[in-house]
Amino acid sequence: MLSWEYPPHVVGGLGRHVFHLSKTLSSKGVEVQVLTFTDGSSPSEEVIDGVKVVRVNPYSLRYPDFTSWIHGLNLLMVDRALKLRTFDLIHVHDWLTATSGIALKHIMRKPLIATIHSTELGRRGGSLKNEHERHIHEIEWLLSYEAWRVVCCSRYMVGEVSKFLGCPLDKIVQIPNGYAPNSFPPPAPISRREYARDDERIVLYVGRLVYEKGPHLLLEAASKLRRNDLKFIFVGDGSMKPYLVELSSRLGISDKVYFLGHVPDDVLHALYRFATVAIFPSLYEPFGIVALEAMGLGVPIIVSSVGGLDEIVQHGYNGLKFHSGSSSALAEAINKLVDDPGLCRRLSENARGNLALFTWDRAADETIKLYEQVIGEYQSGSWKPGV
Amino acid sequence: MRPILHITWEYPPFVVGTLSKYLSGIIPKIASQYRTVLVVRGDADGVFESHGIKVYKVGSSVHTHPHILAYAHLLNLDLLRGTANALHENGGASIIHSHDWISSIASVYASSYIGCPLFISVYTTEITRSGSLKSVLSLGIFDLERYCFQRAERLFVQDPHMREHLVKDYGVDRSRIVLGSDPSKILETYRGILG
Repeated sequence: MLSWEYPPHVVGGLGRHVFHLSKTLSSKGVEVQVLTFTDGSSPSEEVIDGVKVVRVNPYSLRYPDFTSWIHGLNLLMVDRALKLRTFDLIHVHDWLTATSGIALKHIMRKPLIATIHSTELGRRGGSLKNEHERHIHEIEWLLSYEAWRVVCCSRYMVGEVSKFLGCPLDKIVQIPNGYAPNSFPPPAPISRREYARDDERIVLYVGRLVYEKGPHLLLEAASKLRRNDLKFIFVGDGSMKPYLVELSSRLGISDKVYFLGHVPDDVLHALYRFATVAIFPSLYEPFGIVALEAMGLGVPIIVSSVGGLDEIVQHGYNGLKFHSGSSSALAEAINKLVDDPGLCRRLSENARGNLALFTWDRAADETIKLYEQVIGEYQSGSWKPGV
Repeated sequence: MRPILHITWEYPPFVVGTLSKYLSGIIPKIASQYRTVLVVRGDADGVFESHGIKVYKVGSSVHTHPHILAYAHLLNLDLLRGTANALHENGGASIIHSHDWISSIASVYASSYIGCPLFISVYTTEITRSGSLKSVLSLGIFDLERYCFQRAERLFVQDPHMREHLVKDYGVDRSRIVLGSDPSKILETYRGILG
């Protein structure tokens, strides 16, 4: 399995996905080797939960930009993989390890599976503005073309990969991400009063502060609500933070907003316990694993009706949904939920019951089924190594 | 005997600059002595014969590149596809010989996979092309050249100046550098390896 991120080097959901999937596969008897990145602070080889993790350090080469950095990382990954050689199938995640997966597929004549977590066109809101973005988009197309099967985490992503990358639908397999119930450490012993007054209820946002996650919509909704009994806490960091700080000041709600940046998982766990509601106002969301985490910790959620979130949440049953992009609709949903403790309780109870649909155990079983199918097709075909 | 496998980004009829003309003067002479397979960037994937050489051409799979470094990585991914087909369909290779840095990544992968000697002919380097390493892009190309050159068992150069340049600036062991890239010198070096 090739992934540009893996603990302890985790950037977003992809790293957590590969971590949970690989260790669950290993627990079910699949021999998994993960080839990934290190900056020199983690071992070049170790075994974690039965998974052999091999890391390469791309800083032996210099790069003018992130795209070239990724190409350099892939170059070293292929070099390392050719020394390992003990695998029957290659599984890559996103364009970030696409070129190494494609190279290994051809030189070793082994089947390639690709999980496409999101697309460049989706991340860029439907248009590609420069050559870097077009380059990445074309690599994503190439990956979907070269892969034996493409895995997507939601119906929404199946549609996106089919529409944006022209991938035939019969090549795409939908396997939802899982939720790891015990992945959070116990809550940190912190006081709620550090974050909000006793008479303020906490509205929690967890996610990167980037446009596609819609944090600005929550600020606009807060401004429309004008309620003195709500505190809006933002956990996460990102390029939009200075703008959001300025926006909250311009909207006159600075005293109702608290930007915490990144927090350790035990602090996040405590914040979820303090929160009345968690909001995920994304404009683009292939899956929305963070919403599952909130559901698992018993916090009622409000999500935008977009992507994977739209599929996870049934409005009024295990959460509330609002029209994506509408801060007025979000404000209305917050008003409705925070004033109705009965609804809060019902939503969180139903949400917890729903989580059985999203387990890593189930994701691993479906992945094993896919591996067996692909290896079977490969073995019955004529495309095999000649040397 | 397994064939000699050449990898280049240009060879007639696929002409980019002067390298294709130069190679068309030497590779047929090598092919008259050793079974030769050649992989080249072409208009589309396919196989044809030319002057006793079995040529695997590969088309471009990605067309937009922010700069030459990204182009080089994707070019090599295409060249590797052709190289893999050439290896698997011809029983491997006894020597892999690539021409210039821009097609060397595929040759490093291929020689590592089958465990055969890697030769690289060096005609220019980033330093000789740019005068000096003034940008991060140039440094990136330089690092990639060094990475590939250090993996080669033999490097062919055309003049003593280039030999000294590779020793001084790229840290290449002088004993691995062959002065001269005419067919007789190349064939003599092949014979030294193949017996």
